[in-house]
Amino acid sequence: MKEFMLFVKTEGDHLAGLSPQEQQNHVTQIGNYIGKLVKEGKLKGAQPLEISGVLVQGNKGVFKDGPYSESKEVIVGYFHVLANNLSEAVEIAKANPLFQVAKGSIEVRPIKTMEEIN
Amino acid sequence: MEKEFEHAHQLVDHLFRHESGKLIAVLTRILGTDNIMTAEDVVQEAMTEAVNQWAYKGVPENPAGWLYHVAKFKALNFLRKQRAMLKYSSSVVFQQTMEQVAEPTHEEFFSDTHIADDQLRMMFTCCHPSISADSQIALTLKTLCGFSISEISRAFLTSEDNINKRLVRARSIIRENRVDFEVPEGNNLINRLNAVLETIYLLFSEGYNASFGGDSIRYELCREAIRLTQLIADHPQIKQKSEVWALLALMLLNASRFKARQNNDTELISLEKQDRTLWNSEYIRQGIAYLDRSIEDDQVSKYQILATISAHHCTAKSGQETDWESVLALYETLLQLEQSPIVLLNKAVAVSKVHGINQGLNELKALRFDPLLSNYPHYYSTLAELSCLQPNYQEAIAYFEKAISLSHNEKEKKHLKIRLLHCRSVF
Repeated sequence: MKEFMLFVKTEGDHLAGLSPQEQQNHVTQIGNYIGKLVKEGKLKGAQPLEISGVLVQGNKGVFKDGPYSESKEVIVGYFHVLANNLSEAVEIAKANPLFQVAKGSIEVRPIKTMEEIN
Repeated sequence: MEKEFEHAHQLVDHLFRHESGKLIAVLTRILGTDNIMTAEDVVQEAMTEAVNQWAYKGVPENPAGWLYHVAKFKALNFLRKQRAMLKYSSSVVFQQTMEQVAEPTHEEFFSDTHIADDQLRMMFTCCHPSISADSQIALTLKTLCGFSISEISRAFLTSEDNINKRLVRARSIIRENRVDFEVPEGNNLINRLNAVLETIYLLFSEGYNASFGGDSIRYELCREAIRLTQLIADHPQIKQKSEVWALLALMLLNASRFKARQNNDTELISLEKQDRTLWNSEYIRQGIAYLDRSIEDDQVSKYQILATISAHHCTAKSGQETDWESVLALYETLLQLEQSPIVLLNKAVAVSKVHGINQGLNELKALRFDPLLSNYPHYYSTLAELSCLQPNYQEAIAYFEKAISLSHNEKEKKHLKIRLLHCRSVF
């Protein structure tokens, strides 16, 4: 098993337009999605992130003070998962219920381990 | 980690819809009836926030509590901003509310009793007589039942824009007339309660009559109407419950047949031809129990008579074995309370069962100049069905054609066309 970080990116408040019924359906899907990952022992952790924050930019000890231009898509959360290979991690990302109700993207990045560094 | 996610599958049916209804009612009490729209927005935001969290953390153990928590703080923030703007406001009520809500130990705003009180208040506010029936229903569905504008527009086969206009109108009437967020008292209560029940019954009928068991959204309307009536029936502040129970009985008994009214080809099935084993026996049992309770205080109401008629249909083993004489007598009693052309139409059907087809047809034909019935497809389809039984297929064909030309419902049209073809084939 390898570890992967799945960074979820969306534009603005992507769930704002959902009706209570759609929210209900979405949450049911979320429950199933997370439940399945947990049951299979594939979820190591997951957190939502606040939409705003600070970008620290520096170059050789010199920091650039803001303002930084916000890109349209921001990271709104991450999933830390276990998968056999990159394509399985991609499948996990594609199964995220987010894609059924809104536009967004998930960046799938393998976590570097000692053996790969060596 | 495991523990955190283990409640992922335990989401209550319609949690978001119903909690949204409760929260909007509570927040309207805190923010005032001129801020219904803000209450709706705050709840919507709280819900979105919840979904955003739960997408990563799974569904919490007490999802409703979580939603209340977020909604409360969002409402507080709104009030703080308001207070900052009205720094020199002398509104004592406002200041008191602010202090009450802000007090962390004052959780009673969100206690079950308070929520039930606020939902009742909300019903009286939404069904205020100064608001048109259309707008009352739209606002009730939006605020108390957590329906989206698009869902309401689908249920009423109209545009979202149209529904939005009705909502805007309703909210502005509430603001302009300074409608209180209170349950009226004394004699006023009886009148206003009638208006509330009338709106709920209208909501039910919209779901029941036009749908023929088709779209699930229409079945939801019926379920919501029953749920709202149940809230009134359970509330201690309403003392005279005879009519509430009667309405509850009527809706449950009618809803028991909801799913037997069409077959898999989405073809309509008339009451007499329905498979009675498909009727919901639990609804029938509950309906009859409420009907019994409604009789206790010797008050006769329209709903009680209609419920008794429905109960006769629900308990008959077959169409033929229906106690039509009692049904006819009930329609006659109903006519003493309400001279409505629809009741006359239904009565004529009962007449045809008791005194023969010809007499039923004569009564029906006598109604042909009624302004409502002369544009009502069901009037002509009833004439057509009775003509078939006579049998006078030539007349039946003409009546079916008239009914088809007046119908706006595709399923109804399809059903009528099948009946028309049948008539032509035997003619």
